[in-house]
Amino acid sequence: MANSNLPRRIIKETQRLLSEPAPGISASPSEDNMRYFNVMVLGPTQSPYEGGVFKLELFLPEEYPMAAPKVRFLTKIYHPNIDKLGRICLDILKDKWSPALQIRTVLLSIQALLSAPNPDDPLSENIAKHWKANEVEAVETAKEWTRLYASGA
Amino acid sequence: MVGGSGEVVVPRNFRLLEELERGEKGIGDGTVSYGMDDGDDIYMRSWTGTIIGPRGSIHDGRIYQLKLFCDKDYPERPPTVRFHSRINLTCVNHNTGMVEPKKFNILENWQREYTMEHILTHLKKEMTASHNRKLAQPPDGSFF
Repeated sequence: MANSNLPRRIIKETQRLLSEPAPGISASPSEDNMRYFNVMVLGPTQSPYEGGVFKLELFLPEEYPMAAPKVRFLTKIYHPNIDKLGRICLDILKDKWSPALQIRTVLLSIQALLSAPNPDDPLSENIAKHWKANEVEAVETAKEWTRLYASGA
Repeated sequence: MVGGSGEVVVPRNFRLLEELERGEKGIGDGTVSYGMDDGDDIYMRSWTGTIIGPRGSIHDGRIYQLKLFCDKDYPERPPTVRFHSRINLTCVNHNTGMVEPKKFNILENWQREYTMEHILTHLKKEMTASHNRKLAQPPDGSFF
């Protein structure tokens, strides 16, 4: 059987993700790789991403939980902390990672990042500049991209 | 690493992100390098590789450009590799610049752990291999 040596912690986390999903978040492992998750995050209400369905992919490296999961957006998104390849600038995915965190907390943090873009710690320089120069307009662009790319259709 | 069915398999996209980051940092002595062609392509399919001809060979000082295409089945299957710069090697098709898997061991006997760096490094070695050393080369700076 594939993935028969999956650590107990990953099995437990997966079971809980499936049985008690966090609001607006779904994560399910691939059939052929139990460390590789298909993730959907709904754009939070009151954010420019409201109404959007965002696809992400998440991978638990061999060192997990001593190393952070790897996560990126597959859906195009206009956000100062997310780059064109969907890579995410989030401290807990890097130096602030702790094995006390889980897949669930990571995904909740990503959802929170959608509610609170942080143009002072940018990954996409151009989007961050736009955000700082004219936030109203940048938010409009983010809404437009949500309609165009994250409508779930 | 646990062998057999317990082995951790890095999925395609995360594997290519690793290769991208490694390529951006620069590899070894800089005589082989690669980068992504289209920064907007979320699937990271098209890449350009560069090989600087090895010292003491007929290729010395030449800069060869190649195109690598990593399809959805990468790295289970190897990328297609094509020289953009003209070159005369036994494993390269004379008309198209395609590296022919049957004549290039790395592609013919591809393994999942191999990377674009492997391919470029071994092509550089091919340039100094005895079966290639005596081959006349097209003018520098010409393209397929």
